[in-house]
Amino acid sequence: MANAIGTETGAMVATPAAEPGAGLSNARAILLPIGLALLALGLWQAACVIGHIPPVILPSPLSTFRYIGERWDILLTHAIPTTVESALGFVLASVLGIALAVVITYSRLAREALYPNLVFFQLIPKIALAPLFIIWLGIGTQSRVAFSVFIAFFPVVIATSAGFASVDRGMLRLCRSLTATERQIFLHVRFPAALPYIFSGMKVAVTLAIIGVIIGEFITAQAGLGYLIIFATARADTEVSMAAIVVLCLCGLLLYGLVALGEAVANRIYAAEAS
Amino acid sequence: MAALAPSPAAAAAGTKSAASAAMPLVRIADVEKVYGGRQGPVRAVASASLDVARGEFVSLLGPSGCGKSTLLMMIAGLERPTRGAISLDGSPVVTPRRDIGIIFQDATLLPWKTVEENVLFPVRILKLPVERYRERARELLAMVGLDGFLRHKPAQLSGGMRQRVAICRALIHDPAILLMDEPFSALDAITRDQMNVTLSEIMERTGKTVIFVTHSIREAAFLSDRVVVMGGRPSRIILDEPMPFGRPRRLDIEETPAFGQMVRRLRLTIEEGHGGAMSGRTGGGE
Repeated sequence: MANAIGTETGAMVATPAAEPGAGLSNARAILLPIGLALLALGLWQAACVIGHIPPVILPSPLSTFRYIGERWDILLTHAIPTTVESALGFVLASVLGIALAVVITYSRLAREALYPNLVFFQLIPKIALAPLFIIWLGIGTQSRVAFSVFIAFFPVVIATSAGFASVDRGMLRLCRSLTATERQIFLHVRFPAALPYIFSGMKVAVTLAIIGVIIGEFITAQAGLGYLIIFATARADTEVSMAAIVVLCLCGLLLYGLVALGEAVANRIYAAEAS
Repeated sequence: MAALAPSPAAAAAGTKSAASAAMPLVRIADVEKVYGGRQGPVRAVASASLDVARGEFVSLLGPSGCGKSTLLMMIAGLERPTRGAISLDGSPVVTPRRDIGIIFQDATLLPWKTVEENVLFPVRILKLPVERYRERARELLAMVGLDGFLRHKPAQLSGGMRQRVAICRALIHDPAILLMDEPFSALDAITRDQMNVTLSEIMERTGKTVIFVTHSIREAAFLSDRVVVMGGRPSRIILDEPMPFGRPRRLDIEETPAFGQMVRRLRLTIEEGHGGAMSGRTGGGE
């Protein structure tokens, strides 16, 4: 094809050139929050030392970190069941949430019957139901994971069904005109279009899944960071509680980081910009 | 088809279409469409009969709500007539079919796919061999001047470029007919003029049959072999007029007196169909 039809091709081929000072503002975006956090820790440390606050009321950051350094083996023993159960609860909540969203999207009956109930369900302070899970499922892993799923799946359902519904109607009409099957439309159009929504739901779900497991451990467990926090607090061993809380934060960061990593991978594949 | 590689499917079908060349490609026989609305049924199309010959470019022209898009959707098999029948290439249209290429007002491209992959989208949906169509996709994109943009994503293109990708996508599986539903009405006037020339050139090269819905009188007159005006309440076909302008056509025909007279004639017909509601307005064709 020698001569091309049409002339207006040069437009809009923007390559985002690095602005002068962009590196500086990136550094600013990282350094400012870290600086503030360090400042807060410093004030905390100073308050403990200068104010002579007894460690049973508020252990200082340094003594907490020292404890983590000395007893990391105990902390790790408790961190593993908490992290594993949270991860399991999160994965099951995501699978269940996406499956329910598919049902809601494709079945009008399910949408009309189920969706209002799901929303109503969300109004219940679900933490109040935690003791019932012990009655139903016992004091083992299964009851904590089930409770974790129970409080974590909802945002996935809502976000995913919103994502499935976000598909451009013109695109659906085009697919129908091409005699596409529902399965093709789902795989080629609906699911990729819903991915950003699914990940935003999963990011909320991962934090809720951890909360679910910790609540379960508060009530029943013989191991886990939630158990350690309750156990140590009961013995006025506040330094251990504080160390367990710090480790719990790290576990939460780890799980959240994995979801964010999955999102980044999906974004690379399904980016609206050239890769 | 000029230098365009024929689609692998079309090569085998060549003999069949030669035999049926005498009969119209599209036959619309006394079609009516009634929608069940909240305040009782609404007749979108009262009665429409129309034949479109192979290779013909026919515009459906009329004001908003005159049923022209509804008629097009019925030809695409996306809507079913309440009464009457539509046939394409001798067989009745009751559901969407593979031998139709369709272009909407929005380009409706997949934002996460490259330009090339968007053009190949129908090939994947129709489960045709993708690798055999890749060359054709590139030739179509070269024809509309987008050969340098295969790896770009839709967000990096202008509106006119996106719509050109949509045209290539509609042509990729070598359909018997192109159905275009106000494809350029979201574009600015200058881009729209360029797109009209581009489309005119594509049609000269490919010889495709086109049914083109628009509410722009100038656009319809410039592009078409025949302009079909719809209007009235309930809506029907009120004029079926051949456009007596030679091809190839370029924008300068719009300066000729014959073109001006035709635009005026079409406009008066639309105004009559509208019950004279627009008769106070004079001047421009749009």
